[in-house]
Amino acid sequence: MQLQYTPRQQAFRAEVREWLASNLPEKPLLTLEGEEGFHQHVEWERKLAQGNWGMVTWPTSYGGRGLDLIEWLIFEEEYWGAGAPLRVNQNGIFLLGPTIMEYGTEEQKARFLTPMAAGEKIWAQAWSEPGAGSDMAAIKTTAYRDGDHYVINGQKTWSSRASFADWGFGLFRTEEGSQRHKGLSFILFDLNAPGVTRRPIRQLHGNPGFAELFFDEVRVPVENRLAGEGEGWKVAMATAGFERGLMLRSPGRFQAAAKRLVELFRKHEHNAAPSAREAVAKAWMESQAYAYNTYAVAAKIMAGGSIGAEASLNKIFWSELDRAMHRTAMHLLGAAAELQQFADGSANDWLEGYIFSLSGPIYAGSNEIQRNITAERLLGMPRVGAG
Amino acid sequence: MDFLIAPERLELAEAVRDYLSGTHGPEVLRKLDADGNRDTAIWQGLVEMGLPGLLVPEDQGGLGMGLLDAVLIARECGRFCLAEPLVESAYVSVPWMIARGDTGRLAEVATGDFRPIAAHSINGWHSDGEDGSLHSVDPLRNLAQLPDDASDDPHLLDLGALMASAQLVGLAEAMLDQAVEYSKLREQFGQPVGGFQAIKHKLADVAVALEFARPVLWRAAQALEDGEGSAALHVSHAKLAASDAAYLAGESAIQVHGAMGYTYEVDLHFWMKRAWALSGAWGGRGFHARRVDDAIIGGDHPIGPQNTFA
Repeated sequence: MQLQYTPRQQAFRAEVREWLASNLPEKPLLTLEGEEGFHQHVEWERKLAQGNWGMVTWPTSYGGRGLDLIEWLIFEEEYWGAGAPLRVNQNGIFLLGPTIMEYGTEEQKARFLTPMAAGEKIWAQAWSEPGAGSDMAAIKTTAYRDGDHYVINGQKTWSSRASFADWGFGLFRTEEGSQRHKGLSFILFDLNAPGVTRRPIRQLHGNPGFAELFFDEVRVPVENRLAGEGEGWKVAMATAGFERGLMLRSPGRFQAAAKRLVELFRKHEHNAAPSAREAVAKAWMESQAYAYNTYAVAAKIMAGGSIGAEASLNKIFWSELDRAMHRTAMHLLGAAAELQQFADGSANDWLEGYIFSLSGPIYAGSNEIQRNITAERLLGMPRVGAG
Repeated sequence: MDFLIAPERLELAEAVRDYLSGTHGPEVLRKLDADGNRDTAIWQGLVEMGLPGLLVPEDQGGLGMGLLDAVLIARECGRFCLAEPLVESAYVSVPWMIARGDTGRLAEVATGDFRPIAAHSINGWHSDGEDGSLHSVDPLRNLAQLPDDASDDPHLLDLGALMASAQLVGLAEAMLDQAVEYSKLREQFGQPVGGFQAIKHKLADVAVALEFARPVLWRAAQALEDGEGSAALHVSHAKLAASDAAYLAGESAIQVHGAMGYTYEVDLHFWMKRAWALSGAWGGRGFHARRVDDAIIGGDHPIGPQNTFA
């Protein structure tokens, strides 16, 4: 264990800090869950790519910088420390990207990864269906083979980013009459293809952050399938691992929120409940614990190890930490918590953040599912009735 | 930057784990509890492994290892609910004595012939003695009144709190294991109770608490070892995380055992009681929460993503 950064790492940190300081948007962006904010975020994504910061851990041949996980953590610390915007292409770069890296052909990597790192194509995920949320193996949407195309029919729902994104990825039933995890394929599709209808769904905050997708004889070339036909479940599980694992929710985001929460507390101390003080200190402690854990996992992966079902522990921890921090802020704000904008015209980020945090324990596999995975795969408890 | 415990450090801890699993099972705890006596053979076994000399410099017959190594061994002592006062005498007292330049008897510590008493005024008593007037809820803790010269050295307090945290993590891990094992055996409504989500989720929460307590403990050990200015903050963080995990593990484990868990007949109670004792020792929750609060909310310790290792 060696807890000092090397001179090279420190120089890298300085480089990131400097670039962000001179390129960050002057005004905070609107929420990426609405149309105008979405396009502002796409602009930011492209600006990042111009600086070659789109996806720093990817190989240079796909538009990355080939950095290691510690450098990635440093980048993320600077990114969130500077107050930079959420990544509108997170479904692409953090979930689909690593999946293509693992299962894609050379042709697919060249075709999809480079534009993804460049911010040219924004991706939506299309996992859930009306009858298949946490029970994802219950999906029904079909893709039958017609020559060198699949023809897709059915419906997906709660598809994040799908209201405005360019492309989507999801699981489709490619074997007629197949059941559960069998007969599924992982297919990438153009959201603007003929036969795709998007119906934006207003989320709690009123913005169309996700959408329903209807597929009516949508033709998709066979070369858009990742891995073999019928191997979709295995590929999707890898994606889900990335979603819960290291990349999607880097600790910097929570450490930045904990810092803002400490500042909020100092401003509202006169009005704070006795318990708020402890909740604020706890937010710092847990965001730090999450950061240490991520550094430990990164070191383990760099030493040749891997992350498995432990990713479920991660997902439970960060999603519940996020909700607790924002809840504490809502309490500290008191009457001002209900305001969409404060009297000075600035956005009530805590309210927006609280609403967003409520989705954390649901998406990427609900926390109930994560607790089952933890109990069964990490602790070895029996896999019997759901009880 | 490398937040990884080197494999060779883990190997020693694994050797200790293997040794204790063969020699210090629950039946030993029951026998000691029934006899009310210390079994000198257990201490002798620890001496033969070189454990009292872990932190004693090599030129005085010790192994000359560091606090992180001691934390890993202390965790194993917690895991087996070790009834000997190895941790406080050898892993708390020795580094404190070295820091003060009080090195005259370290060779005797390494041979196991001298067990220094680490007594800090934050506790009302120490745990290596027997004066008959104090009885711990933990039947295997031999409490005695503080000596007149009990120290109020903050470095001693941090060492004690760090090593208590390490034992608490081990105790919590063992309680989680016991609850998992029991949940596979005990059947109700025609299936093992571990198949019920209500039970799974309870124990998954313990696993989460432990997963995020361990790296805080490693961080605190390294900070104290390196003499970082913020070491006290990190030690307090570790103590809070470890004692919260241990309380959660104890309460969850007893619930999973049902009425059986509320009896003296199941082994679980030894671990739970040790956890209660160590959670309060070397500064309780209030003391450590206040130290974190003073640094983070009331103080100027640098926070935020750019200060992960401040």
